[in-house]
Amino acid sequence: MTSLPTHSILINKINLRSMVPFLTGGLAFVVGGIILSSAGVDPIHAYQIMIKGAFGSVRALADTLVKTTSLLILGLAVAVAFKCKIWNIGAEGQLYFGALGGLLAGLSFIGAVPILAPIVVIIAGFAFGSLFSMIPAALKVKLGVNEVIVTVLLNFVALLFISYLLHGPLKAPGFLSYSPNIFPQSELPILLSNTRLSAGILIAAGSAIGVFLLMSKTKIGFEIRSVGANIKAARYSGMNVAKSILITMGISGGLAGMAGAILVSGVQHRLIEGISPGYGFIAVIVALLGKQNPVGVTIVAFFFSALLAGSEVMYRTLGVPVALAQTLQALVLVFVLIGELFLRWHPKWSKG
Amino acid sequence: MEQSNTSPIVLLNGITCKFGDLVANDNVKFDLIKGEIHALLGENGAGKSTLMSVLYGLYKPVTGEILVKGNRVNLKSPLDAIELGIAMVHQHFLLTLSHTVVENIIVGLKPKRPVFLDISSAEDKIIELSKKYGLKVDPRAIVGNLSVGEQQRVEILKALYRDIDILILDEPTSMLTPQEEKSLFETLQSMVAQGLSIIFITHKLQEVMAVSTRVTVLRNGKSLGTFRTSDTNESSLAQLMIGRTITRHAEHSRAKKSGKLVMEIKNISALNNSKIVFLKDLSMELAGGEILGIAGVDGNGQSELAEVISGLRKAINGQVIMDGRDITNQSPHSIRENGLAYIPEDRMDTGLILEYSLAENLVLDRYSSEPYSGRLFLKYSDINKFAEKIIMDFDIRGVPGINSPVRSMSGGNLQKIVLGRELSRNPKVLIAHNPTRGLDIGATEYVHKQLLKQADNGVGVLLISLDLDEILEISDRIAVLYEGKIMGTFDREYANIDEIGLLMGGKKDTVDSTKVIEGYDK
Repeated sequence: MTSLPTHSILINKINLRSMVPFLTGGLAFVVGGIILSSAGVDPIHAYQIMIKGAFGSVRALADTLVKTTSLLILGLAVAVAFKCKIWNIGAEGQLYFGALGGLLAGLSFIGAVPILAPIVVIIAGFAFGSLFSMIPAALKVKLGVNEVIVTVLLNFVALLFISYLLHGPLKAPGFLSYSPNIFPQSELPILLSNTRLSAGILIAAGSAIGVFLLMSKTKIGFEIRSVGANIKAARYSGMNVAKSILITMGISGGLAGMAGAILVSGVQHRLIEGISPGYGFIAVIVALLGKQNPVGVTIVAFFFSALLAGSEVMYRTLGVPVALAQTLQALVLVFVLIGELFLRWHPKWSKG
Repeated sequence: MEQSNTSPIVLLNGITCKFGDLVANDNVKFDLIKGEIHALLGENGAGKSTLMSVLYGLYKPVTGEILVKGNRVNLKSPLDAIELGIAMVHQHFLLTLSHTVVENIIVGLKPKRPVFLDISSAEDKIIELSKKYGLKVDPRAIVGNLSVGEQQRVEILKALYRDIDILILDEPTSMLTPQEEKSLFETLQSMVAQGLSIIFITHKLQEVMAVSTRVTVLRNGKSLGTFRTSDTNESSLAQLMIGRTITRHAEHSRAKKSGKLVMEIKNISALNNSKIVFLKDLSMELAGGEILGIAGVDGNGQSELAEVISGLRKAINGQVIMDGRDITNQSPHSIRENGLAYIPEDRMDTGLILEYSLAENLVLDRYSSEPYSGRLFLKYSDINKFAEKIIMDFDIRGVPGINSPVRSMSGGNLQKIVLGRELSRNPKVLIAHNPTRGLDIGATEYVHKQLLKQADNGVGVLLISLDLDEILEISDRIAVLYEGKIMGTFDREYANIDEIGLLMGGKKDTVDSTKVIEGYDK
């Protein structure tokens, strides 16, 4: 789309608005500092460790980017659905199914074929996630069942099903409930030696570009946006709303599944319980704060990953309770959301 | 100009109201005398509602003073207005449909008892008020089950319950049958007789003449003066309101073409949103080149009819045949492909996507075909070229930019976007559902001209409208819809507003049946 010259005041306003999350996020660190010092930790020191933990070395940055890989793809998955006003809260479950798909491909005979294997693993992850998301999509289209309830509940189904597989049919020999390792040929290549940063980050970046093109340039994207913006107008003008919903969920679940397959193929090289520490839920926040727009989602995913990586290092180094690190994450979230709320409501106040 | 010796109960002096660059009220003076019905006349967008919102505490004027009962007041919110004895009944009712009449009336009032509501004493007061002013309504009825006229009575009772003495009515007759209108006017007369003062916002001249003591005319935010109603007449008020004389289309005589049938509806039945059979065995025929007006009070199956034809609602029985093909229950897309264009009832809600640009809105129905897209990608250059052509052809103004959201555009121009898209389809059948709702006279005339032009080009036009004047002005035939049935079909020559009014209210047997032509002979 060609952009038209915009009034400069408007641009200033938009810039000011986009600064708000950073300001409120900063405020969260101030409040977090008070809590840290009340727990007997020097907050400045703690934050230094956090920043070092997130960006301070190649290893630290790589770790942040590994987390970004997951959060970005999942954030995009949720954003695509939200853009169509489908409230897919099931990215976590779709991730686990995608991880299962990736694992099965990586364990199968194809998993031993060089070069082809990781590609098949990723595609299998997409396919499994996509298929799993057809349950809420079909229920919504055919019976009008609210997708929020179905996707939330299917998270438990997916997690428990994977847990069953890892304790039973897919359990590797030994005491721990792990799956066997996938063929080494199925592993995603590592980009930086001595780190866990795999080619997954490239897939994530590609996904962001892909989602951008899909949503803003293609016919399908136009349909998805139309259904999301005004479902009545979409129906009235002859769009096939049911088809759009199915496609949207297919893409959303597929991306989430792909994130799962990347965790298997790029990070763990097998399937374990808790392969995702709730990334699928954090992704909802990433999509919302990123305004469901690929650029925004990318930025938010990176910052959130840095926050996760940094606070992990902080509690390991300083020996502060995990809960304190999590409190800090929660504070950032709450503050940014409150900032958003003020942005949204303020214009109504000023009208008087 | 009228001079009064009694001091006014409300005086608005030098009110100026601005929204951005738009001056909605420009140094307006308005006074209300105790015991009168004062009509506030003007076209849509003349500033009537803005002026009354100032008095009701919804907007703060840039300049000007408000005096109520001789005291200068500063209204911060409607609560302040209610405190002063001013109430407003809005055009769209603010009622909770699932609650009873009493509950709707007492909501928001400070209860006299701490925990439990004193429903029975409230009921007594409501019954007393209904008797006093002739507002018949059952206090225990669920509001959702009441007719529009009855709901309006609830709104008025809600105001009276708060012991007000100044009542503002915003376009109170827009949803009423002629009979309900008459009973409303009687109520208003009895209210002023008992000491209330009423401001009556309207754009209908007959209503001004029928009910008001005095009238103030607004145009483009300016007051053109206050007159005693008995000293003026409809045509001079119309000239003031519009700034020119009205050309009535009723005088326009179109060579009536007897084209071939483009649409046949045979015994259609359909459910409404509450799964109740709402269209009942409805049949009608539409010929190419004619405008068939569907008159009726809101909520008698108009939306359901339009939706069944366009494929947005399933018919449970019957057939719709368009241009010789059975299109019953086909997808909206394939019905459009078969020759339907459809101007929906609500352009903001259905006709357009407000966050989309003008160009995107224009291709909502055709984005997936050549030349607007290839196999996968949209071709924005061709889409924009098409948009520029439609902007020219339909004289769309106030475009914020071909790729900027249309949200900020005026109602008339938004409707032109819908017209541009729908009419450029070269349809065989055009459904126009309330196509001029909320538009000013200029835009209304434009829409009417476009509909007439379509009919002249051989398109069968189905004009479903709540505005009876509009139907009388441009239709060739008029059918009256009541409770999902066609009560009768008239040729325009035989159309008589009283008979149509009675049919709209469902009173069939009182009509002289010789003048009602059932169906339509080919």
